Formats: sequence, structure tokens, C-alpha cells
Amino acid sequence: MAETAPLPLDPRAVRLTASAADRDDAILQCGRALMEVGAVESPYLDAMLERERAVSTYMGEGVAIPHGTLKAKEVVRHDALCVLRFPDGVDWDGERVTVCVGIAARGDGHLRLLSALARILMDPERARALREAEEVAEVLRLLEPIEEEE
Amino acid sequence: MTQRQVTVEAEVGLHARPAATFVQTAAKAPLDITIAKGSGKPVNAKSILSVLSLDVRKGDIVVIAAEGDGADEILDRLAEIASAP
Repeated sequence: MAETAPLPLDPRAVRLTASAADRDDAILQCGRALMEVGAVESPYLDAMLERERAVSTYMGEGVAIPHGTLKAKEVVRHDALCVLRFPDGVDWDGERVTVCVGIAARGDGHLRLLSALARILMDPERARALREAEEVAEVLRLLEPIEEEE
Repeated sequence: MTQRQVTVEAEVGLHARPAATFVQTAAKAPLDITIAKGSGKPVNAKSILSVLSLDVRKGDIVVIAAEGDGADEILDRLAEIASAP
């Protein structure tokens, strides 16, 4: 439960000024960012769209966390995150998303990443800082896991 | 304080659709509702972030609690969602 392992975020997978035509475009850009750091193979992109259509990955605080379906695990080479900021916002089924954290994970590794991310976003100040971050280093720092209180 | 203790049976645990359904149902109730994993710290059951932060997996026990009029009814529904396979 206490999870303080670093999140697998490659600085090359952080984009501060992305823009997307719509939700699916934003998801595909996340998928391509994950591909570019060698974390996933191309079929993962369709799996991300499929996952989003099944259940929205909107988490609150302007953040969505697109990721693939369970059956796409075989095209994941290693666990990774990407962070794409969309300063103009993306309409996400009626919610406004300004940060996408794309997730690639083998096994049930995404659950660990997801809950670590949720703990970060539960701090409104930290969530706001993430939405407004202007430097890659700041994004990396903000996504450092929070120590468990217990 | 009324509470229910259930074992989570969904393959994905209390993530994805089960988590979304759980939070949406909790959010409609005019009561404060909390959920805790095992004997851990209770968190707001109406917040998807709180629920996901618990990282509840299949086989984990959760304790759902509420107080006030209608607590039994809403807790029964939430317990059913949390324990659905």
C-alpha cells in the first residue's frame, strides 16, 4: 500500500504546450508520446481509445489518465507515464481537461501508478501547480510520490 | 455511525468502472460517506481521487460508513457495488 517508488516518467515524454482537436486526438498524442519513449507498440493506441470509450479516464482536477485495456498489456514493453499539457483545454465528455497523464503498464502496474497519481492530485495546490507548470523539471518534481502519512 | 464491511470481488478491484459507479452512487446521497481499506484511514467516498488513492485490489476488505437518515439504504447499495464480481 505505501508506495514511494519513483513514477516512470521520462522527461522526453513531457509536453507543456500541446493542443488537441478533441478527446481522441489528445489520447492518440499521449499514445504516440509513450511510443516515442519505447514503452508501447502501436496497437496500444487503439487500446487506449477503446478503454476511454468503455469508461472515461477523467479523474477530476482537470486531469485525465488515458491508458490501454487489459488485453493490450502484451504490447507494453515497460511501465511509463507521459504528461501532456493542453493549455487551451480539451473537451472530455463535458469536462475540461488541461493535463493528460498517459499510462503504460504491464500486469496491474497501472493501478499502482494510478493510485500514486490520485494521491498527488488530492492536494489541490499540487494539482493546480501541475496544470500551470511551465517547466519540465517542475512537472517531474510535482509527480514525485507523496510519502504515506501512516 | 453505520457501516458495512465487504470484500471487493471485481477483477480490477475498486478501479475503473467499479470505482466510477461507486463514486457516482455515493455522490448522489445527501450524506457524508467514507470508505477505508481494511483498518486504514477513511476517505471521502464521493471523490474518485480519494477512492483511487486507496488502491483497493480484488480480495481487499473495505469499510464503508455513513451517518444519518437513509444511511442503511445507501450503504447497502454501495456495499453491493463494492462487492460485485
